[in-house]
Amino acid sequence: MQTSGKYFVIAMLIIGSLSMVACRRDVTVFGIDDLTILPINSEKNKPKTSAQYISVLYTNLFQRAIGPNDMLSAQKAIESIGDKQIAYDILVSKYMNDPTLVLPTNEEMRADPETFVRNTYTRFLIRQPTEAELAWMLNYINSRPNVTPELIYFSFATSNEHFHY
Amino acid sequence: MNRRKFIRQAGTVIGGTLASPYIMPSGLMSMSTTAPMAEHVVFVLFAGGVRQQESVLQQYLAGSQNENVEGNIMYNMLSGAPPNDKIAYGRDDIQNNIIGAIPIDRILQTPLAEQGTLFPEVRFSKGGAGHYNGLSTGVSGNYELSQSLRARPASPTIFEYLRRHAGFKATDTWFVGVDIGGSRPLLNYSEHPDYGRRYGGNFLAPLTTFGAPGMKHFMDFKNYHPETEWEIIREIRGFLNQNFSTEGLEIPHLYNSEEEAYQIREFVRSTFEKVKANNLILPPVNDNRDLKAIGYAVEVLQWFKPKLLVVDLSDIDVCHANFTAYLKNVHRADHGVGFLWREIQRIPEMQNNTIMIVMPEHGRDLAPNPIQDLNMWYAFDHSTGNLNTRRIFSLVVGPGVQGNLRVGSESNPVGDAADIAPTIADIFGIKQQVIDKGLLDPAAMSLFDRI
Repeated sequence: MQTSGKYFVIAMLIIGSLSMVACRRDVTVFGIDDLTILPINSEKNKPKTSAQYISVLYTNLFQRAIGPNDMLSAQKAIESIGDKQIAYDILVSKYMNDPTLVLPTNEEMRADPETFVRNTYTRFLIRQPTEAELAWMLNYINSRPNVTPELIYFSFATSNEHFHY
Repeated sequence: MNRRKFIRQAGTVIGGTLASPYIMPSGLMSMSTTAPMAEHVVFVLFAGGVRQQESVLQQYLAGSQNENVEGNIMYNMLSGAPPNDKIAYGRDDIQNNIIGAIPIDRILQTPLAEQGTLFPEVRFSKGGAGHYNGLSTGVSGNYELSQSLRARPASPTIFEYLRRHAGFKATDTWFVGVDIGGSRPLLNYSEHPDYGRRYGGNFLAPLTTFGAPGMKHFMDFKNYHPETEWEIIREIRGFLNQNFSTEGLEIPHLYNSEEEAYQIREFVRSTFEKVKANNLILPPVNDNRDLKAIGYAVEVLQWFKPKLLVVDLSDIDVCHANFTAYLKNVHRADHGVGFLWREIQRIPEMQNNTIMIVMPEHGRDLAPNPIQDLNMWYAFDHSTGNLNTRRIFSLVVGPGVQGNLRVGSESNPVGDAADIAPTIADIFGIKQQVIDKGLLDPAAMSLFDRI
């Protein structure tokens, strides 16, 4: 009898403590964490090697992979000029003379400039344009009759963002 | 005014005049700048490791092959009679099937050593006698003993000193490399945090740019109109780059201005046209890579009239395996230097206004290796620790340089391989600024201060 009474007291203590815990009111504090808002392309912080750049460039322009011999000689050509912006400008200028280049026509671009801009961002920069970028590009295309898909491709291909990943 | 007072006052005026700052062409001014000695400098790194015995000592075969034939095979640069026996350094006599039997005609009637100052015993005083070490020391004035091969120099190059302290623009400074091997494309600027790419010189390896790789990937590149099409490219690219403005993340360019970039592209286009028309400026004999590289260097000089052009040659290095070919290429390197000096005098803006410096990047061993060539002559390496590899020479010629002067001797060596960077800084009036940076080798000093 004494034993069962002891168990009863212990059980009551446990139930009592549980009920006290259960009855504690949850207090939730809401706060605002500091968050740095980075540009959409901020994760591209590594420069491509000349092999990576040429490989991606060639694929973007011709929609096929560059052959190993062409890759090797293109790397040598690039290495032979100290200012890499000038070297890549000349390389892209050379590729723009290639009849196998895969390039939208001017008519296609002007028929649907938004699709052209979105596709160009996706092709070269692997992302969609921001609203501000889209607006700027559409305004630029629509306000300048001399702008061609080739010149836009050239600019994207030789931009700093295209050189990074 | 008494005489003593007059002298004191006159001395003050003269001293003040000498100490007053020189305003550089760029508008930069410093108390430590002085008037330049010349408007242009051409520095030839000669030419893959040459032994004193076959160059300034003029021993021909006597110093290497145990044959009693001496003579001067560098008669555009050095004074002295050529060998009169066992001629193997010239052009091949095809009719009689004799290799190297026809010496190349001299280009300069007066050897450069008589026109300028020769330091016949200069020392490559530190580190191993490797090509990269030699080239790097030549352009930076510092041996950088812990420098790895595939890395840019740790100390600033002369290109960076000139662009930063003399205000030269990018196309004022050029390194024309004989090829892209041996880390040559890394020698146009250093990794030093205070200098670097922002102040780098332009680099060109013309035998690659205008050789098979360039023909495949550059030749006949599209000619966009500079004021319409290029303007559109600049605007769109500028917008894209503005939206990718993370600091330092850019295609590694050399801060050539738009006009300079245009000039470089036009130079490349124009030179390809000359290549196609077989109309390049070339030395009369141009049967090796060095002589072709010198021809392209003259094309760069003619187009840009740079303040500083460094050209490196390397065909002499065949000496590892073929002594006869080595002699032929020493003779040709001399031919190339003579041609270069002649062509400089044919460019109106550079005529009588250019100082040329010639220095081997290092020497070669005293004792041969076991390899013999067709003449059964032994070849020579350039080994670490061999004192003969430390023996080189320097030759300076141009306005304000004393003619027919020899400074130093075998028993009294004068000059160090690290001297050229401060010498060029001296010529352009920024020597003190360069010295004050404290980044030169302790042994380095202007050759003009060694006379």
